[in-house]
Amino acid sequence: MAGGRRPARRGRKAGEGERNEMSILRFLAKRLLLSIFVLFGLSVLIFTISRILPGDPVRMALGPRAPQWAVENMRKEMHLDRPIHIQYAYWLSGALRGDLGQSLVTRRPVSADIREFVPATLELAIFAGIIMAVFGVAMGAIAGRYRNRWVDNVIRVFSYVGIVTPSYVFAILFVLLFGYVLNLLPTIGRLSPWITRPPVLTGLVTIDSLVTGNFAALGDALLHLILPGVSLALGPLAQQARIARASISDNQNKDYIASARSFGIPGRVIMFKYLLKPSLIPTVSIMGLDFAGIIANAFLVELIFNWPGFSRYGIQAMLNKDLNAVAAVVMVLGLTFIIVNILVDLIVAWLDPRIRLGGERGK
Amino acid sequence: MKRIFALMLGVLLVGGLCAFGAGALRATFAWPTMIDPAVGSDFSSSSSLVNLYDSLVYPNTDGDPLQHVATSWEVSDDSLVWTFHLRDDVRFHDGSLLTAEDVKFSMDRMLTIGEGYGFLFVGRVADVRAIDDVTVQFILEEPFGPFLSTLYRLYVLNKDLVEANIRRPGPYGNWGDYGKSYLIDKDAGSGPYMVKEFRVEEELVMVKNPDYWIPLDPETPDELRFIGTTETATIRTMMARGELEISDQWQTTEALAALDGIPGVEIAAFSPGTMFYMMINNKIPPTDDIHFRRAMAYATDYETVITHIFPGAFQARGPVPQNLPGADPTVYQFHRDLDKAREELALSEYDPREHEVELHWIAEVPDEEKVALLFMSNMAEIGIRIRVVKVPWMSVVEEMGALETSPHIVTIFDSSHYPEAGSLIESRYHSNSAPTWEQNEWLLDDELDAAIEDAIATVDRAERFAKYGAIQQMIVEMCPTIFLFEQVEKHAYRADKIDWPTARGEVNPVMGYNLAARFIRILN
Repeated sequence: MAGGRRPARRGRKAGEGERNEMSILRFLAKRLLLSIFVLFGLSVLIFTISRILPGDPVRMALGPRAPQWAVENMRKEMHLDRPIHIQYAYWLSGALRGDLGQSLVTRRPVSADIREFVPATLELAIFAGIIMAVFGVAMGAIAGRYRNRWVDNVIRVFSYVGIVTPSYVFAILFVLLFGYVLNLLPTIGRLSPWITRPPVLTGLVTIDSLVTGNFAALGDALLHLILPGVSLALGPLAQQARIARASISDNQNKDYIASARSFGIPGRVIMFKYLLKPSLIPTVSIMGLDFAGIIANAFLVELIFNWPGFSRYGIQAMLNKDLNAVAAVVMVLGLTFIIVNILVDLIVAWLDPRIRLGGERGK
Repeated sequence: MKRIFALMLGVLLVGGLCAFGAGALRATFAWPTMIDPAVGSDFSSSSSLVNLYDSLVYPNTDGDPLQHVATSWEVSDDSLVWTFHLRDDVRFHDGSLLTAEDVKFSMDRMLTIGEGYGFLFVGRVADVRAIDDVTVQFILEEPFGPFLSTLYRLYVLNKDLVEANIRRPGPYGNWGDYGKSYLIDKDAGSGPYMVKEFRVEEELVMVKNPDYWIPLDPETPDELRFIGTTETATIRTMMARGELEISDQWQTTEALAALDGIPGVEIAAFSPGTMFYMMINNKIPPTDDIHFRRAMAYATDYETVITHIFPGAFQARGPVPQNLPGADPTVYQFHRDLDKAREELALSEYDPREHEVELHWIAEVPDEEKVALLFMSNMAEIGIRIRVVKVPWMSVVEEMGALETSPHIVTIFDSSHYPEAGSLIESRYHSNSAPTWEQNEWLLDDELDAAIEDAIATVDRAERFAKYGAIQQMIVEMCPTIFLFEQVEKHAYRADKIDWPTARGEVNPVMGYNLAARFIRILN
């Protein structure tokens, strides 16, 4: 009998798996479709806002003394002499072909700027994201595990300080402490001048160095990442620690944990096998936003560490009314938020099987 | 983990020790930096171009033109044809010879693109002819006395190299993009330094040209690094660690004081030829009355401005900075005298109680607010009511485009286009500049216009300068502006590591030339 039931169970499991896969595919399709609308709306919004701001971007780019015909020529070249809806049509058709126009500040194609600057910020954000995730969850878990003990109090104070302190304050403090006073760590750029740069494969210096076996560059790049990465990570890390602690504290009082304890299962096993995974759900949900926030907020940190990144590029573009660059920066940031949020939803669904993607929860 | 960290630290420290020897000069700048001679014109671009390219003539510390690529020159009797004889031994960085064709190409390119320093030549240079390999002629539209001074900004490009890298199609017809995309991060010059690496918005690295046609002192820097940051904490750290020799000029007074406290660091202060004006609208009441304007000029507290708001600055004497060639040191200098101010106000046809004077200051320059508030307080002492308005720069530019929208007073920094008094006199007070941000005065004075045109058409330098002097006297008589102060540019520098002539007082009045590295020595 038992043998006869097994295929039925397998069949049911296979059926559930297929349903899950279908659910994920439907979810992805739906989110991607929505993303197109979001990006389209975003592009219309940013395109309009950037063009109705006061000031002539071409005059700003060419300088106050450039002859008027040179200004007119560039305006024509950039289609700025046409009505705004025609300008948008030009921009959109170019963007769909991967041509985001020319930057008024760097005078290069914006797509080339993005290719150069995005990897720098991405590398920094990934590094900061790893620090945030690993230390944030670890500190939250420790604080939750030793609730109301001294270690919890220390982490709580650290978290409050981390949450209320802007990342640029940490950046300045670190530069002064580790650069000026202790002279321990590099404070500008991605690599020291005497290090041979690895060939650009991904644009991420650490990965490119690793792939090409340039370990001197790898070590140097990691050292350069420490101060800006930690500066950026501390705020979200503190937030993660608080959320993880609250979640773990909450789950610790659940019946299933009490049941596990009553069976004599060791505390470490309970923590890693039964407690941590469900407790990570709110942490991961916020982590996605935090990661996107790191990219968006990296401007001042990039400025302080002279990090040639995308956030600094974006702010420069806005200050100089670099129209095409502004539109591109906002679109890339929008896309980043969308991708990260989709990934977070997928991870949360994996962490908690009760959650069904596409609003099927509770079925 | 500890081992990995120690290894990485070791790499850093050993590398740092081995890195530069004595040969690198590192300076910070506000970016962007444009190293295309037909595009760049700001401070960092000019400082880069000076090192990468050669010009026909070179300014000395008095702003006078010295022979450089051109060994001699003559002007036709009608002052329209300028003929230059070139050296025959100047080589570009690729080893090819610099010829008259390269000079013609560089000027034609400048005139066609019209960006950067193109405004100095557009409308003035009608044609360029390469007579032979070492002779080039410029034909001007009309006589222009300071032409030699504008040629400091004609940087000679390697025609063959640029032509080989033109992208077609482009915005310049047959010339495609005229090599603009190539010259974004590469040079085509013959200067004492050449581009090694250009990382946009991060760093420009240049290395010494070993075959430069002027023998370079072995103690001049082997490498130049122009770093794109002005962040105070970063600069302080770099300077203290010996990773920076010259800071940018945008450091605050407090930051400079902190830098000055680092052993070996000193502050170089010099006048870059920039003036701070309170531009008074001479066409709307009550500031259209000369006595009203004079009353304001006498009531202004110049001393407090140069002592407390812009410490180290000099009170201005007339409309042009005193270190600018052609400046007249004898023009009347207004000073604070409340009795005289009240006398002038009594002569005015306007009752100050019936008028409010609107002063616009530039939102992006916070210290201007202090000047505006001090001025408001000064004027209150003689009964003039001032309304202080903070306005973003782009809005100021727009409102100054028409007389109807120009306010009573605007506070603005301005500097000469080329190193001569005539440049500022023309751009500030000739009617042509009235609808631009360079003139809120709206003088529209035919007599003054004629005098300015006559002066800048005069080829003889002494005669031209005498005419500049007369015009400065005329302008001060009209009191169209409150000539507040001459700005002082300050850089922190490692006096224990470099010998910088500018810091010793050998200041070049042409923007960028104080960072010409061939005159800077690295001390061992």
